[in-house]
Amino acid sequence: MHIAVLAKVVPDYEVPSADFELTDSRAHSRYTRMIGLYDENAIETGVQLKEACKAKLTIISYGKTEDISVLRKAIAMGGDALHLVMGDSDDPFVIAENLKMAIDGLGDVDLVLAGQQSADMDRGVVHSILAGMLGWQFLPQISRIQSEGDLWMVAQAHENGTRNLQFSGKGVLSITSIPENVPRIPVVRAIFAAKKKPVEKIEGIPGTPMNAKEVSVEIPKMESVCEFLPIEDMAETATTLLSKLREERYL
Amino acid sequence: MKTLIVEVMDTKRIGELVTVGRIFGDTPDILALGTGDVPGTYTKAYFTDTAVGANLIDPLVDLIREGDYQLVLLSATTLGTEIAGPLGVRLGAPVLSEVIGASADMTVTRPIYGGKAVATFTISQAPAILTVRRKYFEPADLAGTTTPVPLTGTGTTITLISEEAAKSEGIPLEDAEVIVSGGRGMGSGENFTLLREMAAILNAAVGASRGAVDEGWAAPTLQIGQTGNIVAPSVYLAVGISGASQHLAGIANAKCVVAVNKDEDANIFKRARFGIVEDYKKVVPALIQALKEEQ
Ligand SMILES: Cc1cc2nc3c(=O)[nH]c(=O)nc-3n(C[C@H](O)[C@H](O)[C@H](O)COP(=O)(O)OP(=O)(O)OC[C@H]3O[C@@H](n4cnc5c(N)ncnc54)[C@H](O)[C@@H]3O)c2cc1C
Repeated sequence: MHIAVLAKVVPDYEVPSADFELTDSRAHSRYTRMIGLYDENAIETGVQLKEACKAKLTIISYGKTEDISVLRKAIAMGGDALHLVMGDSDDPFVIAENLKMAIDGLGDVDLVLAGQQSADMDRGVVHSILAGMLGWQFLPQISRIQSEGDLWMVAQAHENGTRNLQFSGKGVLSITSIPENVPRIPVVRAIFAAKKKPVEKIEGIPGTPMNAKEVSVEIPKMESVCEFLPIEDMAETATTLLSKLREERYL
Repeated sequence: MKTLIVEVMDTKRIGELVTVGRIFGDTPDILALGTGDVPGTYTKAYFTDTAVGANLIDPLVDLIREGDYQLVLLSATTLGTEIAGPLGVRLGAPVLSEVIGASADMTVTRPIYGGKAVATFTISQAPAILTVRRKYFEPADLAGTTTPVPLTGTGTTITLISEEAAKSEGIPLEDAEVIVSGGRGMGSGENFTLLREMAAILNAAVGASRGAVDEGWAAPTLQIGQTGNIVAPSVYLAVGISGASQHLAGIANAKCVVAVNKDEDANIFKRARFGIVEDYKKVVPALIQALKEEQ
C-alpha cells in the first residue's frame, strides 16, 4: 500500500492580528515558515496508518525549494520520501494540477491524505479539486481510517456528530484534528536522519487557473475597546461585570 | 442570475443561503437533502434522501447543466466542503470557499490567514460555486413551503454505515444567547465542570477552543472558530483562551466578548468588551457565587 500526504509550508499562523502585515497582498516574508497545523495532523494520521498497514508513506508538497528544510519535519515524523513540486501559484486548480502530476508520477498511490484546511489561504478545497481531477472519491473532515481488504472504513466529523462511512478504491481524505492525531515530536535521531534523505524535486507546470480574480487583500481594522475590571476584590469584580452586562442589555 | 442552493432541510441554513442568493438576483431554486416540504417558496425545489454529499456529484452535474444554473450556493459545512471541489472540476467552474461577503456585481470576499486579512474576488465565469460561512448572513424569512420533486440519477459510491449524534448537553451552541467557552488555560477536562456549572445558571451553552479540544477536554462538536462552530451570541465568555485569529473568526458576530485570562497581553483582550486579568480559578467561582446570590 502507498499512502501520500499533502503538506503545505505556510507563514506562522499564530502571529497575532495586531502584528500581521502584508506585502504584495501576501503575508510578510519575515514570518517564520512552518507546516500547516492540519497538515501535521494529516502527517500524523499517515504515519499511524503506515505503521498499521505496513504501507509506504510519501510526503508531497507544492512550493518553493526553501520549503524543503521545513518539510523535512514530515520525514522525521515518519514519512519515507519527500516530493516537492516547484511552483508559486496560489490558484487552487493550478496547485491541484501540480499535485496530480506528482501523484501520477508515483503511479501506485492508493490513498491521499491532506489537512482539512491550509493555514494560509484557509480554503479547504485544493484536496477536493485534486480528487475531482484524479477521479477518486473525496471525503472531508476524517478523524479515523481503517483499511479492510479492498475497503476503507472512515469516521467523518460532522456538525452534529460522527458518521461512519465506507468506500472501495482510491480516495482523497481531508483530515481533521482529534486528540489521537496530535502530531508527534520527532526524536533527535530521526531529525538528523531526515536531513540526509534525498528529495525528489519536480518542475511545476503553469496549469489552468480558475476564472475568479483576486482584486484586493485588506487587513480588517480591529478597534480595541476592552474595559479591564479591577481585581482587588473578586466578589465585587463579579457583581460589577454582571451589572455592566445587564446595564448594556447584553444579558 | 439563475442560482441553485444545495443544503440540508434546515430552515436557518437554507435561510442564510437564500439571503446570499437574493443578493445576486431572484430567489434561488433548491436541492434539499431530507424529506418533507422545503421551507420557503421556490420556482423549482428538488429533494433527495441521499445523506452523503459525495454521492450527489453526478446528478448535480446533470441538474446544473440542464437547469442552466449560473451559481451554486452551499454552506461552508462538511456537506458543502464535500461537494464543492469535485463539482467544480466536473463543471470546470471556479470554487470560492468560506465566503463572508457578496455583492450583485459578482464580487465576493473571503478571509485568509485565519481571518487576519480579507480577500476580494470577482467571478467572471458561470457556473461558479460558492461555499458560504455560517452566521455571516442574516437568514431570510422563508414564507410558506414548497413540495419538492425527487432528484433523479443518484447512486451510491460511498456507503453510510452508521451515524453517532454528538451528546447534546444543555443548550445547543447554534441558538445560545450566552456562551461560556474554555481554552487550554483551563488546565484539564475536569475543570470544565466549573464552566458547565456557570452555564447552567446563565442558561448558556458551553464551547471550547481548538486548544482544549486537542487536549481531549471537550468534544470536537463544541469547538468554536474558523474550523469549528461559527456563533453569534449576545455574550461570549472566553476563559483561558489566548484569542488566536482562527478562534476569533468563530465569534466575529458575538455582541459582547468577556475575556478571563491571566496574561494581560493575550490577544483575546483586543476583541473583548470587558476583560479580567486573573487566574480563572479565582474569577469563575466568584461569578458563580454572584449569580447564585442573584437567584
Ligand atoms: C487552519 C487553522 C484553523 C484553526 N481553527 C481553529 C478553530 O476553529 N478554533 C480555535 O480555537 N482554534 C483554531 N485554530 C488554532 C489556533 O491557532 C490556536 O492554536 C488555538 O485557538 C489555541 O487555543 P487556546 O487559546 O485554548 O490555547 P493557547 O493558545 O495555549 O492559550 C491558552 C491561554 O490560556 C491562558 N491561561 C493559562 N492558564 C490560565 C489560567 N489559570 N487562568 C486564566 N488564563 C489562563 C494563557 O495565558 C493563554 O492565553 C486553527 C488553526 C489553524 C492553523
